[in-house]
Amino acid sequence: MRLLVIEDEKKAGEYLKKGLEESGFTVDIASNGVDGLHLALEEDYALVVLDVMLPGMDGWAVLKNLRVKKDTPVLFLTAIDEIEERVKGLELGGDDYLVKPFAFVELLARIRTLLRRGPPRDIDHMHIGDLEIDAVRRRVRRGGQRVDLTPREFSLLQLLGRRRGEVLSRTQIASYVWDMNFDSDTNVVEVAIRRLRAKIDDGHDVKLIHTVRGMGYVLDVEAEDG
Amino acid sequence: MLRLSLKARLTGTFVVITVVCFTVVGVLLMNAVYRRIYQQDEINLVLSARHLRRFVGELDSTDDLVAHQARLTWSVLGDTENALRITDKDGKVLVDHDLSHFTVQAQAVAPADQRLTVTDIRSWNDGDGEIRGVSTLAALKDGSMVTVTVARSMADRSVLLLRYRWDTVIALLLGTLAATVLSYLLIHRALRPLRAMTASASSVTAHRLSTRLSAENTPAELHALAHALNDMLTRLEEGFDRLWQFTVDLAHDLRTPVAILRGSNEVALSRPRSVAEYQSLLGSNIEECDRVSQRIESMLFIARAENPQFALQRLVIDTNEELHLLADYYEGIASDAGVVVRIDAHATVYADRDLFRRAVSNLLSNALRYTPSGATLSLIATTTETGVSVSVENPGPGIAPDHLEKVFDRFYRVDRSRTDSNMSTGLGLSIVKSIMDLHGGDVLATSELEGLTRFTLRFPRVTIPD
Repeated sequence: MRLLVIEDEKKAGEYLKKGLEESGFTVDIASNGVDGLHLALEEDYALVVLDVMLPGMDGWAVLKNLRVKKDTPVLFLTAIDEIEERVKGLELGGDDYLVKPFAFVELLARIRTLLRRGPPRDIDHMHIGDLEIDAVRRRVRRGGQRVDLTPREFSLLQLLGRRRGEVLSRTQIASYVWDMNFDSDTNVVEVAIRRLRAKIDDGHDVKLIHTVRGMGYVLDVEAEDG
Repeated sequence: MLRLSLKARLTGTFVVITVVCFTVVGVLLMNAVYRRIYQQDEINLVLSARHLRRFVGELDSTDDLVAHQARLTWSVLGDTENALRITDKDGKVLVDHDLSHFTVQAQAVAPADQRLTVTDIRSWNDGDGEIRGVSTLAALKDGSMVTVTVARSMADRSVLLLRYRWDTVIALLLGTLAATVLSYLLIHRALRPLRAMTASASSVTAHRLSTRLSAENTPAELHALAHALNDMLTRLEEGFDRLWQFTVDLAHDLRTPVAILRGSNEVALSRPRSVAEYQSLLGSNIEECDRVSQRIESMLFIARAENPQFALQRLVIDTNEELHLLADYYEGIASDAGVVVRIDAHATVYADRDLFRRAVSNLLSNALRYTPSGATLSLIATTTETGVSVSVENPGPGIAPDHLEKVFDRFYRVDRSRTDSNMSTGLGLSIVKSIMDLHGGDVLATSELEGLTRFTLRFPRVTIPD
C-alpha cells in the first residue's frame, strides 16, 4: 500500500519513511505543502500522514484543498496539544491525529486502524501458535491446557491477540484495558504483562508474549525483534 | 473622539459654572435694585399727591391757591425731579412747576375722596424718556374742584441703571477670567501627584517589576489607586517569578535525561559493540525520550490547567466504582508490594472523570511506593458538609512537616536520591493540585512520622446542572 508523508523536517521524514517501509508500506515523502498537495491529488495513496506545521502552505490548507477533490484518509501530526487544534483538524476532514512526540508503534497502529477495511476479522476465536482464545466464553487454553486468568488479564491478552504481531505501547494498553487515558509514571502495565506472561508462557519453550524494549509488547509466535 | 485632558475638562466645567452663577446673581441684583429705586419714586409721588390734596382742601378758592403757589411747589420739592401742575375744572392751568419740559397726557383722574395708592400711578412716554405721574381731584373750601398732577421723569433712573448694568457685566467678565485662571492653576496643582504616578508607572518594565509607586504625599483618592496598582504589580511580580522559576526548573529537569542520552550514546559509539548492546542502548534511549515527553506533557497540563478557559467535562461519578477501577489498575503493583487496598466509598462526585482518575492515580501510585509490605492502604470517599472528600491513606515512614508543605510544588521531591526517582517526574502532586484547582477544590496532606499519611482531595459541593 502506498502512503504519502508530508513532513518538512528531514530527519523526521527519513525515519517515518524507513519505519513505514519496514512495516510493509510504500512511502513517498513531500517536504512542503505545495508538493504534498500536488502529489496527494495526482497520485493514488491509501493514506496521507500530514504534518500541520509546514513552511509556506500549512497542513490545514493542504487538508482543506485535498478534501475538495479527494477522500484519502489523512492522519495529521501536530505539536500543539490543544483541544481547538484537534477539533480544527477533524472538522477540516482529518481522520485521526497524533501529538508530537509520539511513539512510532502508536503511529503504526493508527495507520493500520485507518486502513482496516470492512468488518474486523473474526476475533471470537483466536489461535496464536498453541494458544487459543475464546472470546465468547472468555476461556484461554495453551497447548490444550486451560489457563485461568483474571478478567483484566483476559482483556489484556485479548487486546494483544486482536492486534497480533503489532507492538502495543504501555499507554495504549493502559487506555484499552483499564480506560486510563493519561501517562502515569508507574510500571502498572509492566507488572500486568509479567503476571500474564507467567501464566501464558511459563513452562513453554515457545514464548508468545515479547517485550520490545522501549516500545511496548507484542503477542506472536515469533518476535519481530527485541 | 476628541480626547480632552482632565485639566481642560475640569477648567471648562468650572468656567461654565462660574458664568452661570455670576449671571444669575447679576440678574437678581439688577432686578432688586430696579425695584427698590422705582418703588421709592412711586411712594414719593403718591405721598406728594396726598399731601397736596390735603393742602388744597385747606385753601378757600382758586385765587387763594394761586396765592399760595410757592408753598404748594415747595411741598413737592422733597424730590427735585418731581413736577407739579394744578388745573381747574375747565383745564386752565393754575399752578405749573417745572412741567414745561414734558407733556401731561390724558389720564385717569382719581376722585377726591379716594385714598391714593401706587396703583393710581400711570406711566407714559414723551419721547425723551419715561414719565410717571399721578393725577387726582381735590376740593377747595368753596366747593370748586381742581385737578392736581404730580409727575416725575425717569430718565435719570434709566441712566443710573444702565451704568449699573455695565458695571455688573464688567465685574462678571473679570470674575470669570479670574475663576478661569485660578481654577486652571488649582487643577494643574491638584493633578501633580497623578503626573508623578504616571512617571513612576512608566518606569515599570518586566525587568524592573519590583518598582513601586510612591503613595506618600498623594491625596486619599490617588492613595487608593496607588495601592491598587502596587498590589497589581506585586501579583505580576509573583507571576513573573513563578514563571521564571518554572522555566529554570524545567531546564534543569531536562538536563538529566539529555545528559544520559548524550553520555550513553557517546560511550556506545566510542568502540564497536554487539547488536544486542546497540539494541539495549536504543531501547534505553527510547525510555529516556519517553521520560522527557512525559515531563513535557505534565508541564503543559499544569500550564493549561492555569488557563481559566480550561474546559472540564464534568459527569456524576460514582466514587465506589471509580476507586475499584483504580485499585484494579494498581492491583498488580499492590500485590507485588504485599499491600492490601481497602475501599470504603459512599459518595458521588461531579467531576471530570479522566482528571479524577489521574488525581487519585497519582496519589495511589505515590502511596504504594511508601506503604510497607503487609500493611493496608485505604481509599475512602465520604460526603461531608462542604462537599465530597476522597482520601488515600497509608501507614509508612511519613513525611516531615517541612517537606509536607512543599510536596505540591513543582519538581519537589522529598527524597532526591531515591532509586526510582527516574520513574517520578516530581510533578505528580503538582498535577493533583492543578486538577483540584480546576474543580474549585483543594488537596490536603497530613502525615505523622512512622504513622499514617493521608492525602485528601476535597471537592466542593456543587449544584449539578440538568
